This record gives sequence, C-alpha cells and structure tokens, in this order.
Amino acid sequence: MIGRKDLGLLILIIVVGTVVAIINPRFLSPINLANTANLIGLFGIFAVAQAFVIISGGIELSVGSIIALLGVIFVDLVAGGTLSPGMAAIVVLVLGCIMGLAHGLLIAKMGLQPFVVTLCGLLIYRGAARYYTEDATAGFPFGASFPMLEWLTAGRFYGVPHSLIAFLAITAVMGLVLHRSVFGRYLFAVGKNEEAARYSGINTDRIVIAAYVICCGLTAVAAIFIAMYTRSISPSSHGNFYELYAIAAAVLGGCSLRGGEGSILGVVLGTVLLQVLQNLVNLLGIPSSLNFAVMGSVILIGVIADRQFSHRKTG
Amino acid sequence: MTGISKSYPGVRALDDVGLSVSPGEVIGLVGENGAGKSTLMKILGGVAEPSAGTIVLDGEPLARLTVARSMAGGIAFVHQELNLFENLTVGANIFIGREPLRGGLLRFVDDSELHRSAQPLLAQLGADFDATTPLATLSLAQKQLVEIAKALSLKARLVIMDEPTSSLTSTETERLLATVARLRADGVAVILITHRLAEVERAADRVVVLRDGRCVAALDRSEIQAATMIRHMIGRDLKTLYRPPAGPPGEAILDLAAVRTAYRPDQSVDLSVRRGEILGLAGLVGSGRTELARAVFGLDAPLSGTIRVDDRPLPPASPTAAIARGLYLVPEDRKRCGLVLDFPIRSNVTLASLGASARRGLIDTAAEDRQARIQRDRLDIRAPDVTVTAASLSGGNQQKVVLAKWLSMRPRVLIFDEPTRGIDVGAKNEIYRLMRELSDHGVGILMISSDMEEVIGVSDRVAVMHEGRIAGLLERVTLSEQAIMSLAVGRLAA
Amino acid sequence: MKIQITGIALSLAAALMATSAVAQDKKALAFVVNGASDFWKLAEAGVKKAQGELPDYDLQFKYPEQAAAAVQQRLMDDLVAAGVSAIMVSAVDPKSSTDALNRVGGQVPLFTTDSDAPDTNRIAYIGSSNTEAGKQAGEIALKALPDGGKCIGFVGLPGADNARERIEGMKATIAGSKVELIDVRGDDIDMTRAKRNVEDALAANPDIDCMVGFYSYNPPRIYEVLKESGKLGQVAVIAFDEDPITLGGVKEGTIAGTVVQDPYEWGYQGMKLMAKYLEGDKSVVPADELIIVPTKMIDKGNVDAFEAELKSRIGG
Repeated sequence: MIGRKDLGLLILIIVVGTVVAIINPRFLSPINLANTANLIGLFGIFAVAQAFVIISGGIELSVGSIIALLGVIFVDLVAGGTLSPGMAAIVVLVLGCIMGLAHGLLIAKMGLQPFVVTLCGLLIYRGAARYYTEDATAGFPFGASFPMLEWLTAGRFYGVPHSLIAFLAITAVMGLVLHRSVFGRYLFAVGKNEEAARYSGINTDRIVIAAYVICCGLTAVAAIFIAMYTRSISPSSHGNFYELYAIAAAVLGGCSLRGGEGSILGVVLGTVLLQVLQNLVNLLGIPSSLNFAVMGSVILIGVIADRQFSHRKTG
Repeated sequence: MTGISKSYPGVRALDDVGLSVSPGEVIGLVGENGAGKSTLMKILGGVAEPSAGTIVLDGEPLARLTVARSMAGGIAFVHQELNLFENLTVGANIFIGREPLRGGLLRFVDDSELHRSAQPLLAQLGADFDATTPLATLSLAQKQLVEIAKALSLKARLVIMDEPTSSLTSTETERLLATVARLRADGVAVILITHRLAEVERAADRVVVLRDGRCVAALDRSEIQAATMIRHMIGRDLKTLYRPPAGPPGEAILDLAAVRTAYRPDQSVDLSVRRGEILGLAGLVGSGRTELARAVFGLDAPLSGTIRVDDRPLPPASPTAAIARGLYLVPEDRKRCGLVLDFPIRSNVTLASLGASARRGLIDTAAEDRQARIQRDRLDIRAPDVTVTAASLSGGNQQKVVLAKWLSMRPRVLIFDEPTRGIDVGAKNEIYRLMRELSDHGVGILMISSDMEEVIGVSDRVAVMHEGRIAGLLERVTLSEQAIMSLAVGRLAA
Repeated sequence: MKIQITGIALSLAAALMATSAVAQDKKALAFVVNGASDFWKLAEAGVKKAQGELPDYDLQFKYPEQAAAAVQQRLMDDLVAAGVSAIMVSAVDPKSSTDALNRVGGQVPLFTTDSDAPDTNRIAYIGSSNTEAGKQAGEIALKALPDGGKCIGFVGLPGADNARERIEGMKATIAGSKVELIDVRGDDIDMTRAKRNVEDALAANPDIDCMVGFYSYNPPRIYEVLKESGKLGQVAVIAFDEDPITLGGVKEGTIAGTVVQDPYEWGYQGMKLMAKYLEGDKSVVPADELIIVPTKMIDKGNVDAFEAELKSRIGG
C-alpha cells in the first residue's frame, strides 16, 4: 500500500538518518530518539491537518497564529484556574473548529481566495493573541503542576512520548478518513476537479468547509500539545512560521499545492524528515543560523528528485 | 488593391474551398456548426496553416499567412469574444500596444494625442461616445464598435466579423449593419459570418455557403434568399440511424414550466420529456440549450419557473437533489465537467453513487470494484483495467465512463449535452444504442445536439431553440433538416 | 483626479497634525522598545513611576507591532511626525540602522537604551553593559563549577549585539579557568526550538556540566528539560533575567544564579533624564555618553528580596 513517492521519501529519511548516525552515534540514543519523536508528534498533528486543506485545493496560512492564540488561551484558562484542563481543552477545540468554519464559509460560500482568507487569519489571530495577554508571556507559574494534564500531553509510555502516540492515533483515524471514507474520496475529487465533483452531485461547498474545520480543529489539538511542551507562550513569536513547516511537510509528502494529491503516510514521512533535519543541525554542531537553509535545501532536493524520477506518472 | 483568393485542395476540415474578396465588398459566410467556417478564418488570420492551396494577397501568392503578414495585409477580426480591456478608455483600447509616446526615454503614454487620433476613427463609424470614455461603461454593441475602430486604426482593408450580432438587440443589430454599410462605402471589405440569415439577406453582396468543409454554393446578390441558403447548408444524404422505440411514450416525466435562465432573462421555456422517448433539443450554438440544461440539473438557479420530475417540483440549484430524483446530466465538456481525469475509471464510475458502496461512511473497496467492473462490462469500456486513469482513455471510452457513472444508479431522466462530440463512429453508434435501450426501459431522454444527422437520426421528437425560447416542436413525421434549420435561424415558415 | 485626492489627503493630514499639536500642550516623551516581551513590562512600570513625577510631560510607551527594524523605524517616524519632543529607543538593529537613527536624532533628541548605537547622533545610552553582565555570569559559573567543566549556551539570536557581548563577557571571565563554553545554540526566538535545542544538546553531550541561558526565556527551557530528564541539580544552570521559572529555580537551588538587568530603572531614570535634558540641563549627560545601570547577580541568598522588589514595582 506504500506509494512510490512515499517509498522515495522513506529512503531519503533512512539515508539522512544513517549518515547522521555514522557521524554522531548519539543520534540513535534512546533519549534523542524519544525527543525527536516528541517533536514529530507535535509538528505532525498540524501537518496532517494542513494536508486536508491542501488536498482540497486550498491553503491554510494561519496555523502558526492559531497555535499562538489557542495556546495562550489554553494556558491562561488552566494556569489561572478558570477552567479545569479538560474543559479548557474542549473550549480550545471548539474555538479551533469555529475558526475553521469561518475560513471555510468565507472561501466556499463567498468565493474568497484561500490564500487571502487565511493570510488575514494569520494577522488577526496573532494580533488577538498579543492583545489577549497584552504582549506578556502566558505561562505556568513556578512549580505549578497539573499532573494529569502533564502526563497526558508531555508524559511518556515506556519512553514513547504521548504526543507521538496521539499523533499516531490521529494519523490512523485521519488516514482512514482520507483514504477510505466517502468524504476522503470527495475531498480528492473536489481538489482535482471541483467542476466534475459538482456535476456528480457532490456538495462541494460542504466538503471544502469540512476540510478547513478538520484543519483548524486538529491544529487546536496541536496547540494544546505545543503549549504544554513549551509551558510558556510569548504571543508575538509563538508558532511563527509553523504554517510553513506544515506546508513543507505536506509538499515533501507528495501533496500538490494544486490540490487533489497527497497521502497521510507521505505527510507523516515529510514531518519525520523535517524534524530529523532539525535534530541533525544540533547534533552535528552545524551553526544554528543554517537551520532553515538546511531544511530548504533538503526539501528542494527532495522535490527535484521526485520530479526527475516520476516521469509525470501519478499513482 | 487586387482581390484575395485562396484554395485549399485536399484538407478534410476544408476541402478545396475558394473565396475571393474585393475592396468594398460584403460577403456573407454561412454554414452549419462545424461546416469549416472557423477553420477558414483561422487560416486567414494566420493562426492555422493550410495543408494545400495558395493565398493571393494583393497579387502576391503565398503558401500560408502568418499572423504578422495577415495584419500587415490589412486583415482584421472582430471576434465573438471581444479582445478588449475593461479598465482602459476607448482610445487606450484602440491603440493598445501602439500608444503614442512622449517624454523621450521615459516613455510616457501621450494620452491626449492618443485620444485625439482615436476620435476620427470613431466618427467614421458613427459612434455616439468619445475616445476618453471608460470601456466598462459601454454596451456590448458599443464595444464592438471599439473593436472595429481598432481594426480601422490598423489600416484594415478586410474586416472579418464572427457572429457579431448574436448577443445584440434588434436596434443594435440595425446599427451594426449600418456600420457595415459605412465600411463598404469607404472601400473596406467585410466578411460577415452569421447564423442569422435575415441579416445576410440584407447586408451581403455575395454569399458563400460552406458544408462539411466544402464550398457548396456561391450566391450572387440576386440569389440571396434564406430558403436557398438553408437548402445548401443542409443538403446531404441522411443515413438512417433511427431505431424506433419499443412502445408508445408514457406520461411526462420531466416537465419545465416557464423556466427563465439568467442567460436569456427575457425568454422562458416550456417543455416536457415523456417516459420512454428521446427528445432532441436542436438549435444553433448560443441559443441557450446548455444553459437550460444547467438550470434543469440544478447547477444554476433558474430565475423563475418550475421544473418537475414525476410531477413533483425539483428544488432549484441543487444537483444533489436532481440526482436524488434520478435526473442526471451528461455534460458537453466531459474532460472538465464529466470526469476527474486523474482518477482511475473505478473512482469515476462510483463518484456519484459512493454511498451504495459504503458502510458507515467508509468505502467498501471490494463492492466499489465490483460495481465498476459491472459497468465496464455492460458498456464495453475498453481499458486494461478499472484502475487506469480516465485521462488515458479515448474520447468514446471517456464518454462511456461518464455514462457508467449514471447507469450505476437508477436514471429516470437523462440529459445528454452533445453526447457524441469528438467521438468516433463506432462509439457513437454504441451510445445511440444505449440511449434507445434506456428509453425502452422507461427513461426519458433529452438530447442536446448540434449535429443535425444525430438530431434527426436519434430523436423521437425534436424541440428547436432559438435565442432562449423553444421556437418549435417537431414530431418524428414532420422532421427534416430544413424544418429544424428554419426554426433554428428564427424563421417560422418551414 | 488622483492628484486632487492626494492633495486633499495631505491637507487633511496636515490639519489633523496641527490640531493634535495644539491640543497637546504637554511635551510628549516616547519610550520605544524593540518588540513585545515581559522584560519591557518592567520598563513600562518604571516609565509609569516617572510619569507620576513628571506631570508636565506625556510619557508614552510604544511597542512596534513586529520586532523588525523597518517596523520600528516607521513607528519612530510617525512619533516624530506626531510631534513628540524626545525618544528613547531600544533599536532592533542598531548597526545597520545608523542612517535611519540619525534621521530621527536630527529632528528630536534621541536616546538609546538596552542596545546602544554609539555611531549615531544619539545623545546618550542608558542601560546595562552586556559585557559586564556576561562577566557576572562567568563569575557565577566559576563559583558553581569550582573543578571546572563544559558549558553549552542557549540564545535567541547569536549574532545580535546583546547576545554576542554577553557571550564575550562570559568567555573573558572564564578564560584561563577550567570552565569552558563549548557551543552556543540559537533558536530565532522560537520557544519550541529553544527547548528542542536543550534536549538535543543533552542528547549529544550527556556529560555536560553546565548550561547557560542567555535570553530570558532560555533558562526556563533548560530548567524544564533537566527536570523532565531527571538531571536537575546535576547540571549547573546559569541564567539571565528574571523569568518566574528562573527565579523559582534559583530559590530551589537548581539554578546557580541569574544576572538581572534593571529595565525598571532604565524606564524611570531614562524618562527623568530626557525631561531634564529638554529643560536645558545638559549636565545629566556624562562625558562618555554612557549611563550604565549595573546588572545584579541573584542567587539563593538574595532572590527573595529581589522578587519582592519586582512584585512591588509591577504591582505599583
């Protein structure tokens, strides 16, 4: 069931991993693997979310700002004792879905361009997050402890971070939705040829709206995990550019920005590769300033290689 | 200036067509859809290359025209879709790409000079607006004048107008014909391509009739009559494609009452399709047939009127609702509207009926595959497997995939829009056979077609549309190309 | 047509400015920071205190909407256009903004804080000496690691002046001792990356002896990672600034010490200084044009007193 594209990506990951492991064997140390797995979980959740929107033929640029706004709200509600962590999580999830609904309605019903709508979202939510705390950092006070919440979000199960487990669970469900469900098929059809989908009686508006609700809803989940990872959120910088990590992972994983293409497995592998790259920069002592350059180069190489070997064949 | 003459022996789209134009002459070019008019015009414009024949332009014999040579020779086009910029003024449109400049290297557009030089051109055409008017404020007819003025500014000596009056009101048409007369008086030659024979009768000095890529008649002023032109336009052998229905038609299954579409808000359509019949919907391109089909299928909301299936009104603007009631549309543009080309045959076949192969929202791939294979065998879709993409199929097989999508459900009314366009003869006959098979099972079929042979060969009855309304309804016994064409061009007498 | 509209807009803007200038008979002094952070909340408190003592002035505290030199520049230009009498600024990028800062300084008296721009026509700099602060961090390290050891540093922007000076200062102090700073990792002020850097550093160097957090949010990330990996207390932590988590760690004894700046004093003294300068008292500017507000070393011994002072300042 593994596609040719996914296989290529997997090979790339193994090659990069092997090289890093040879240079610095600590790459394979349990602690490093667990740390990297944790970040794969954090970044993977919203990368999978982004894939739904990209496959529908759209784009979601407000991911980073949503992560900041919802993270700030979550930490504030929990740290301030306003709501129990469970209730706060529900509030944040509902807010995420409402944002997605708003984006979807503006795009599907009013016919605005996804890029414009979500770019405005990026600005609005960032501003809202900063206003919410008046630019102060939202964080848990020293020694504050929410054992249950911390165990759920930042805990480990036999060394496997819970964020990774949550990510895998979400991936399994979303993989089923995308590749096995009627909705998933419709989503691909709308992304590939919205007109033909309409002529086949598919309610294309509803599919597009659902894609944005899923995207922002899952991003809200990621926002909670990321907030619990950093434990403090400075609203002006938290989550900056994270939409680009998500888009990069999706594109690496075979999603076409023209819509209608992509696989969940590809996005997972794309996320893995991105996080391994970040890890490698630190482990090999490459200057931190080159971080983005390394990431950009590898993505570019991956995309070019894919193009060269694919001969424009889909499948 | 000597005349322009051309001949193209041995081309299929255009077979040995000769045409000569002298200065100050108005030539009517008529023919059915697909008779070869547009190919001929493409050759004149230098866009297409003739496979044989010569073109003599101002006495110089040429194997082909290039776009530049065509322009330099003074040939200009006024297309159906105008080539203008809404956000610029009239003058700027006329001189687009050739603006008078000032300011030396800074290359400012000299707006006042531009508008000054545009003014006499507009005066020559009797325009009632001036060069500084923003284009967006003009009517379609006025924009056409701008296009003609642009042609004149290029020193055009031959202006070719393609269906210039198809979207004009009758007063506007009058004014356009007056403009043609002016051009003629100024020594400019005009080729008028139109379906409206009355206009040709009035304006043309000569008429050339094309049919199946051949020039079948050249009529002088004294011979120009609509009836003569129609006879020449359709005069071909009729093959008998017709297969009679198994039984008499049943009650009306699709019923349109006073349906108005945004395309032609001034007209309304009443029409009913009966169970077990194939109703042909004929008419010229632009008569509003596709727009009507879109409204019926729910892709566009009708402005008013009711659409009933089985005597129950259909909710407007919802293809989903139409499909739920068994009303399906096989669209004209199958690549854009009928298929997801990159999807495998299987997914295309089941796209509209996935619910049947799904349990709790999850697709049962085995059931889906079974369904697709049943349809493939039933329709004889020739492909190595149902997993190959629709894009890899021939036109005929693609159309069968579109059909398979609907036949895997329970059709009650099927609308076919140009069902066999671009399809080879073998697949064509299979599709006709299927249509009859369906109608014999009680399906009502509405077939939109511009192919006269098909309309007459397949339909039990024919409704003819003209400018957004049903111009007439012909029973099988009174069916003839002449009768259909007369109604299609807006003449009531057959 | 377009020219007319522009003309109207210009005269309208001029009229608005004129009215606001008339309405504002108090002189306005602006404190422009380089971006949003908690750190500046303290300076804002200091400015507030100064406002209480300077009733004849309108003291403004301005955050640029982004930590970008261009955005900050526009903010200052707007302030000058709106008629402020003097500006104190923590320039985002002082080195490459010399011309722009000179332009502002040419119109109103310009003071710098936090990060200096000595090559401009600024009147004076008020703030800490990052080099001194780095030296203090080095002292903490020497005390915490009497037998020497390897340190890794974490910082937001390794190339920024404040980071570089702190790092240089620390290196100067530990030079010749057995304590060494083997690497400094940057995170572009992304907290997720900041934390991951600590995790990766620990994975790559399990035998590391000490970690230094150069920006205010770095020590809390170090603290969290060490806590999660059970190494709290085994690795010496040297901190900068006064994040609540940092102070908590100092109290607990798991963070060896932190070097704190005094932005409250920058805001308070800075505003008073500008007011005096505007009133004609040029003697407030020392000959070297540097007014250094010393940084302090906070360790287990004085952390409680420091925290109490902090609370009273923010509260008041």
